[in-house]
Amino acid sequence: MAFSVGVVLFGIGLVAIAIRRDLVIKLLALGLTNAGSILCLVAVGDRPDARVPICAVCRDVIYADPLPQAVVLSAIVINFAILALALVFVMRLVEQYHSTDSRHIEDLVQRELDEGGDQ
Amino acid sequence: MILAVLPLSRFVLGLLCHLSERKARLLAVVGWCISAALTVLLILETRDGSTITVGLGGWPADLGIVLRFDAVSAAVCPLVLLLELAAILYVRKDAPRPLFYALLQFLLGAVFALLLSQDLFNEYVILELLTLVGFLLVGYDRRPAQVWASLKYLVLASVGMGFFLVGVAVVYRHTGTLNLGLLAGILADQPDAPWVVLAATLLTAGVAVKAGLFGFSQWLPAAHSAAPPAVSALLSGLVIKMGIVVILRLSQVFPLGATLQLLGAATALLGVVYAAYARNLKRMLAFSTLSQIGYLALGLAIGTPQALAGVLDYAIAHGLFKGLLFLAAGEASRAVGSGRFDDLVSKRAAIPNATVGALLVGTLGIVGLPPLAGFGAKAVLLGSHPNVFVATILVLTSIGTAFAFAKLLPLFRFRRAASCPSDRIAAYAVLALPILFFVPLTGVTLPSLQLGSGLRPLLVVESVGAIAIGVLLHRLSARRTPRLPRRIFFLEEAVLAILIGLLLVYLFLSV
Repeated sequence: MAFSVGVVLFGIGLVAIAIRRDLVIKLLALGLTNAGSILCLVAVGDRPDARVPICAVCRDVIYADPLPQAVVLSAIVINFAILALALVFVMRLVEQYHSTDSRHIEDLVQRELDEGGDQ
Repeated sequence: MILAVLPLSRFVLGLLCHLSERKARLLAVVGWCISAALTVLLILETRDGSTITVGLGGWPADLGIVLRFDAVSAAVCPLVLLLELAAILYVRKDAPRPLFYALLQFLLGAVFALLLSQDLFNEYVILELLTLVGFLLVGYDRRPAQVWASLKYLVLASVGMGFFLVGVAVVYRHTGTLNLGLLAGILADQPDAPWVVLAATLLTAGVAVKAGLFGFSQWLPAAHSAAPPAVSALLSGLVIKMGIVVILRLSQVFPLGATLQLLGAATALLGVVYAAYARNLKRMLAFSTLSQIGYLALGLAIGTPQALAGVLDYAIAHGLFKGLLFLAAGEASRAVGSGRFDDLVSKRAAIPNATVGALLVGTLGIVGLPPLAGFGAKAVLLGSHPNVFVATILVLTSIGTAFAFAKLLPLFRFRRAASCPSDRIAAYAVLALPILFFVPLTGVTLPSLQLGSGLRPLLVVESVGAIAIGVLLHRLSARRTPRLPRRIFFLEEAVLAILIGLLLVYLFLSV
């Protein structure tokens, strides 16, 4: 169940990245895809009637697989870093072009490259 | 123990570089020396073909992270060291660059870590780290074109890595391990299970975004041509190969042969077509990188031990000459004030002789003139008995590469020109000498894989013939260059291309 929710979130984010032209919305959608993929990974550790894998004596209880929960922390941190850095760069582009429209920025950058004979 | 030090020392040094900017240059040299010493030690220890394996923290292999120094690491580590040395020498006399050396250390730490990693999730983390550092380095000078190129890189790579992570989840759900060695054993029992196809699709498509396969890596031309020269050299020579290393590791676990053949062929041909009609030197080099990655993917598709040896050789050779070409192209564009071919040719007197020499050596290497690096490596690849389809694509790509690089011919005139700083000459020499005196590394370590001597004359004829045909076609072709569609490199189209590519890979794998 959680796995399919993850896949759906991932898909929604992906479609939004592909069709929305506003860069801020694109980054929000990127956050959604990341959340989806992370949810998929956590969901893998689930077992029927499982408990949280924090226990002193857990010989006779069923607990969720701790490994996906441990590794997923790295993924969360990485995705946070990516979003933060990407937003900084979007700010830089907005300062330069006063726009968050990806197609508009693409055109302006291309024109600059064509005219300037840029390195 | 040594294995963990190899990448970790770079992360410590990166922090130190950040803390004391003044000592950063010295620390960069220290880092290089440490890695060089460790690499020599490891290669000597494994020269009989053995591998060194370490399970970190004493965990068993199915739970913990396993590092392994194998033939792939032994082959690629020297290339890492050479490219790093060239990059350090190249930027030595530039104005002080805050954070640059720290980022460089992180980049190389990640590269070494990936070469040792045998764990899928570990590889995911390292690939993301490479994305982040690469993103900061591409946008280093904060020019708008760079910022936009690196933002596109980040978004697309992040989408790709999302697929990879879901693939990791699928693998863990069905096998309970992420260790590649153990996975190979488990999959040998059930090669056709539906989840295997799904996992293979997600993992391959995810890495393909980082590895520079056409349709997946539409960010590459803009990012590699906009980045500062030393960064372009490292990204094109090294970082993009890390994706190929991961695909190599995946192809030893999952049955990817036919898919890689298709992707490789498309990448090799489309890359070279775009390279042939690029108007800007660095952009042409970036497209040529795409086509050469296709070459490597085709080699992986053949899949025999000799083909894999050829892939490693070609990856090293390509790292050397593409690194050299990017460094020299950066210098030439700066001297002329523009990177366009028209301007370069009309103002060629401003380009220093050493730079022209470096461009010449790089060009001769990449078109595969015997006995330089490009030929030596290609000979191993072509000598590994590919099928007719792969062989045809390989030859067509050689012709196309010669056609594309024939545009540089007017530049190769030596004259009295502005002199070149000695650091730059040293940087060129570090990369040019191995190109001139290239010995296929895998031929040394695995003598049984050396070519039969009967095939060699044929390969020389093929190679020289391809160059001749390419240059001839360039002479015959009309002077005006057609404009190829640019839209496929826009962000939205690139995301759609990844989705279509993913579906194609899935269809191809499930048939």
